[in-house]
Amino acid sequence: MKTSWRLLPCRALRAAENMAIDEAVFRLSRREALPPTLRFFGWQPPAVSLGYFQKTSREIDVETCRREGIDIVRRPTGGKAVLHEHEMTYSLVAAMDHPLFAGDILETYRVISACIVEALKRLGLTPEMVSEGRSAAGTPLEAYCFAAPSKYELLVGGRKICGSAQVRAGGAFLQHGSLLIDVDPVRAAAVMRVPAAGISGSTTTLREQLGRVIGVDELARVLRGAFEDTLGITLAEEGLTAAEEALKEQLLAGKYGTDRWNLEGKSTPGGEGEPS
Amino acid sequence: MSVFQEDLFYSREHTWVRVDGNMATVGVSDYAQEKLGELYSIELPGTDAEVEQDEPFGVIESSKSVAELISPVSGEVISVNEDIEDDIGVINSDPYGAGWLIMVELRDLDELNNLLDAEEYREYVGEEAGTEE
Repeated sequence: MKTSWRLLPCRALRAAENMAIDEAVFRLSRREALPPTLRFFGWQPPAVSLGYFQKTSREIDVETCRREGIDIVRRPTGGKAVLHEHEMTYSLVAAMDHPLFAGDILETYRVISACIVEALKRLGLTPEMVSEGRSAAGTPLEAYCFAAPSKYELLVGGRKICGSAQVRAGGAFLQHGSLLIDVDPVRAAAVMRVPAAGISGSTTTLREQLGRVIGVDELARVLRGAFEDTLGITLAEEGLTAAEEALKEQLLAGKYGTDRWNLEGKSTPGGEGEPS
Repeated sequence: MSVFQEDLFYSREHTWVRVDGNMATVGVSDYAQEKLGELYSIELPGTDAEVEQDEPFGVIESSKSVAELISPVSGEVISVNEDIEDDIGVINSDPYGAGWLIMVELRDLDELNNLLDAEEYREYVGEEAGTEE
């Protein structure tokens, strides 16, 4: 019999709520003794997410975000800035020593990428898993996550279509990533303060590759099947536990709903991690 | 192959401790820096902060992940390696030397009994590495 993992509801939520849910599930995963948890989600309104250590003013144009109604949120995970607008985001929380992920960081990227590769194949595409980094360090695109494929990121036609990031603590890991449905290079460039041509040249989208705009429900269904078959599991649709709900609300009020965390990277009064 | 320096204590969370009287220097193990890969950023407590054994005291980011640093000892931070803020790569290149993180005035020397010696730590990560096959 296949093991059952939890699948949280697929919804488009505010940036702060998305990050609060991810962190609540991650922080409580050991205590709640739950099976691995997978979630597919969207962002409403659109949002820019920053990596844990990024300096806001250096990476993105805050004024443009405010003017365009784009939320700004800081992720618990590492990596670079991402504009979340027309995309399907996944997040996966599991124990570090889960047999499928073998306790190794790269292995988690490889296994999760294999699931997304399978989904893209089912859509008729020919994705490739990049195993060596192509560094954009030192270029104007450095801050833009989709400009620098790192290990086991996903390309179609030599351009990045899905980027992922991870955090590990307390015996568990959270990995989330963005699968691009469509992109507005001019808008992304304005937010990231990089040339639009650089974004078009380094990234591709499902719309470009499929020649149509895929519906969110259809994409979620394909991804679900690809994860189930690749991992040999079944996904059972469930909600958050009471403890996860409570922690989510706490994280919304005290962290992801605050400029102090999102713009300045400070979660607790007098805490460390003070970007200039 | 990772280096397991003999004169150190190690934690199961992959930090090392060098003890001199009631002073302890803390860093990340060679095994951990190898697994994390190229390091990008680090967040450490300030001097005078209190750290607790088995509790987070910082955060480190590599090309692959963000990871919490778990303190192997309890006590007061008396010094922080400021050089790594300018060149974090030194943790990759010299984890047991110039790549040290914090120095702690130990509150309870008995806590060191909870740590592993080099051989025990080598076996511990060996087992962990073994599950990856």
